[in-house]
Amino acid sequence: MGSGFSALLVKEFLQLLRNKQLLVILVITPVVQLCAYGFALSPEVKHLRLGVIDYAASPVSRDLIAALTRNQVFDLEDSGGNETELSLKVRDGKLDAGLVIGPEFTRTLKQGKRAKVQILLDAVDANTAGITTGYMIQIFNNFTSEHAQTQVGVDFVDLDSTFLYNPGLVASWFFVPGVIGMVLNIAGILVSSSTLLREKETGTLEQLLMTPVSSAEILIAKIIPLLVVLFINIGVSLSISMGIFHLPFRGDPLALFLISLLYIFVVMSIGISLATISSNQRQAMLISFFITMPVITLSGALAPLESMPEFFRNLSLLNPLRYYIVCLKGVLLKGVGLDILWPEVLVLFVFAAVLLSLSASRFRKQMA
Amino acid sequence: MLSLATHAVNPHSPIVMVSGLEKNYGNYPALKGIDFEIRESEIFGLIGPDGAGKTSTFHILGGIMDESKGEVAILGKDPRQVRLDIGYLTQTFSLYLDLSINENIEYAARIREVPEAKFKERRERYLRIMGLEKFGDRLAQNLSGGMKQKLALCCALIGRPKLLLLDEPTTGVDPVSRRDFWDVLGNVAAEGVTIAVATPYLDEAERCNRIALIHKGQILEMGTPAELKRNLGLKRLELRTRDIESSFDKLEDALKAKTVGDAISDVQLFGDRIDVLVRDTDAGKEALHSLLSADLKPEIVEEDATLENVFVSKLSSSEHAAAPSFPEAAREAKSGQAIAAHSISKIFGHFQAVKNVSVQINYGEIYGLLGANGAGKTTTIKMLCGLLDISNGEVSLAGRKTELRSVKLRKEIGYMSQKFVLYDDLTVMENLNFYCGTYGLSGKERKERIGWAIDTFELQGNEGTMAGALPGGWKQKLSFAASVLHQPSIIFLDEPTSGVDPLARRQLWQYIRLFAKNGAAILVTTHFLEEAEHCARLGFMVDGQLVAEGSPSEIKAAQPGVLISLKVSNTPKAYEALREIFEEWQVSIFGANLHVVLDNKEEDMARCQQKLADNGIRIFTSRQLPFTLEDAFISIVQRSKRNK
Repeated sequence: MGSGFSALLVKEFLQLLRNKQLLVILVITPVVQLCAYGFALSPEVKHLRLGVIDYAASPVSRDLIAALTRNQVFDLEDSGGNETELSLKVRDGKLDAGLVIGPEFTRTLKQGKRAKVQILLDAVDANTAGITTGYMIQIFNNFTSEHAQTQVGVDFVDLDSTFLYNPGLVASWFFVPGVIGMVLNIAGILVSSSTLLREKETGTLEQLLMTPVSSAEILIAKIIPLLVVLFINIGVSLSISMGIFHLPFRGDPLALFLISLLYIFVVMSIGISLATISSNQRQAMLISFFITMPVITLSGALAPLESMPEFFRNLSLLNPLRYYIVCLKGVLLKGVGLDILWPEVLVLFVFAAVLLSLSASRFRKQMA
Repeated sequence: MLSLATHAVNPHSPIVMVSGLEKNYGNYPALKGIDFEIRESEIFGLIGPDGAGKTSTFHILGGIMDESKGEVAILGKDPRQVRLDIGYLTQTFSLYLDLSINENIEYAARIREVPEAKFKERRERYLRIMGLEKFGDRLAQNLSGGMKQKLALCCALIGRPKLLLLDEPTTGVDPVSRRDFWDVLGNVAAEGVTIAVATPYLDEAERCNRIALIHKGQILEMGTPAELKRNLGLKRLELRTRDIESSFDKLEDALKAKTVGDAISDVQLFGDRIDVLVRDTDAGKEALHSLLSADLKPEIVEEDATLENVFVSKLSSSEHAAAPSFPEAAREAKSGQAIAAHSISKIFGHFQAVKNVSVQINYGEIYGLLGANGAGKTTTIKMLCGLLDISNGEVSLAGRKTELRSVKLRKEIGYMSQKFVLYDDLTVMENLNFYCGTYGLSGKERKERIGWAIDTFELQGNEGTMAGALPGGWKQKLSFAASVLHQPSIIFLDEPTSGVDPLARRQLWQYIRLFAKNGAAILVTTHFLEEAEHCARLGFMVDGQLVAEGSPSEIKAAQPGVLISLKVSNTPKAYEALREIFEEWQVSIFGANLHVVLDNKEEDMARCQQKLADNGIRIFTSRQLPFTLEDAFISIVQRSKRNK
């Protein structure tokens, strides 16, 4: 690696720095994506319209209703007075949820048995319905346990405990590491495939092949600036996450650096392979959508893997992004290091090594 | 005043009237006040180098852009008001590639509101003229460059415009298709369509009725090609000697020192001859004989000046600026074969792109590989320089038969690819530094070589300009500089001056010759015949085979038959008639004249006269012309197709 290599390196850096499109991908994408997912996709639900028919009409049942409405999750609305009216209102979308407390509610509780209540839900929005159910069950469980410990007449609803169910902060913390991985995935594939393809498209690659530089030098000179800019990309993402969403950084920066390095090699290799099979940047961009979408969906970045059918959960084991996100969450949120994360890091290493050698050999074969 | 007089003489009022036209882009004046008229049914050529203002003029004529100053009237109106009467064709194909020929034409007709009956009739006619009638269902993307351009012309014509604006319509189209395209234009003009065409090719300029030489936003001269040649007031002496390089140097020195008075006006060097422009042929000949010693065996042939001579004399302001010599590193002079190929072939799947081609090129020689698009030139050059494996045969490069891709060998080779050598997003200086770096040039050597490139190609002050922002001609020159900075002894140039005007081309060839003179073997591929004139030896490729080889003069001389220029009473009708008795390629329209290639002079001339007489056409004059390289090219290609 002599003066030829340094000439290549200087050229690559100059070209990268002059690429305005790249600046957009590297800086604007993390800002937009993080904000979009962090703010807009929050699963927190507030001010649900609740209609209640309280046949028991006892202090205990009123306490239950108060527990539901006190933290603004539910707002009490007109129930219509009987079950038929209530179910009509829920059906027509005038109410999000209906609660029917039977006449035997107080008596059953006093006997120390489990009392039953009826919940009517508008399940058109399955997600909201699910979350509503979740809230109610939590509140009921709390109510029940408090009631079991204390006796009648005592204020047994612990208001503080309901703050646990304000999931706002935790939701964005769940998303943000996923979005960092996602953005790196998109930017890495696009940027690395386009730096190779631009040269192929304009025809300068042919010229380059007639100079005495080797194809390995060409490839390495392209990889180094990519490493730098993709780390900048991660830096931008992290700054936004910590600045806007107050994401904690509890772990070791060095561990994060190493893990990210491995993952950058993974996305870069995908980008290089993409460049070898595409004939122009536009084609590469289209194909990259088909790669990026399933990779993100099956990574646990946006939706928990636990909620997926078994087949897809197993399929996600082949997804490198999954491991990177586990590592990111581990280092950032939990503050764990390589001693705990080593299995994931090892998998990432294998992915990086295999993909990089495959793509490099494809590239060199095409160059020869 | 003058235009009034023209009106009186000419029964037709002009289709296009342009007076005092100016266009400024910010502070940059693209057009500095030009005047011209285009008359009905005329082919008017706007000829000039890159950036002369051709495209700006066309944009204004087409109503796409506003003028800064001056008047433009088409059919007596503002261009915008007569848009339906204007057909416009640009350098890029304005076709829908995923539609078929018929669908493209139909679309063009619909948006121009052509009535159904007329549409059908015109489609038939134009497709027949273009020779596309058999391919109606073929998708536009599956057509060759020449066919695409003919289809685009068809689409422009379907609305039956009164004026057709063609902005460099044949850029990137090979000579055979170009001639075809121009035959069609001659036909269309004969039907009463007025045509304005911009072109950098001088052989195309010959085929216009009138041309205007435009340079730096001004019209330098206007008239018929013959008038322009006559106005130059110079005769051309074709000089061939045993050593044209040294003869040329002597003549140039004499010209600079003015030792021969004004007997010689200009000298221009080509591949195997020197064009000497003289006022008086006898005085010129005398001067030549006195300057060149007898052992150079000078042979002198009197010819008329060509448009290229006119163009170069008119435009070359800095006369005979000596080429700064290349800061050479001392090295062993090489001799003998640099490139040798013994019956090499290339097979892609079922397609044989190159068939048994053999060439030998010595150090110090400039060899031109000619052929139409798809003839296998680029494939051949790539096999010779090691970029592409050969399927059969043997290549020897700088004495090596194996490992053509070795680092050591690559340092010996200069390669200028057909597309781009330069990085558009790097500056001139960064590009030069980059290529120096890849070849391991550093320190003083690097500084000298870059200095040479900057001085030679007049790039001072533009070192920081992005290469992408340079005009086409400069880009090509800088590309050439970047590919020879390491002083290669074998240089491959793949269409080095495509899209470059004659002045820039002349300058570039000055440097290509400089490298050959210093001992480098140079292989040039091209389909520009003007470029081929600069090569010492040529090889013609047709369908992957080498069908003819020799110096430009040998090739022209080896053409069977004769070329006759006819002035007749009805050119379009004569054209149609003669095509019935000769093969199509043998007859073409050149401006007001008809060019006919006759296999057998007496016999065919008699047939020709008979046929024209039968059609009531009179022959005013007939004159035998020397074959140009383009004529030779077309004839070689067509004859080799005929023999198959």
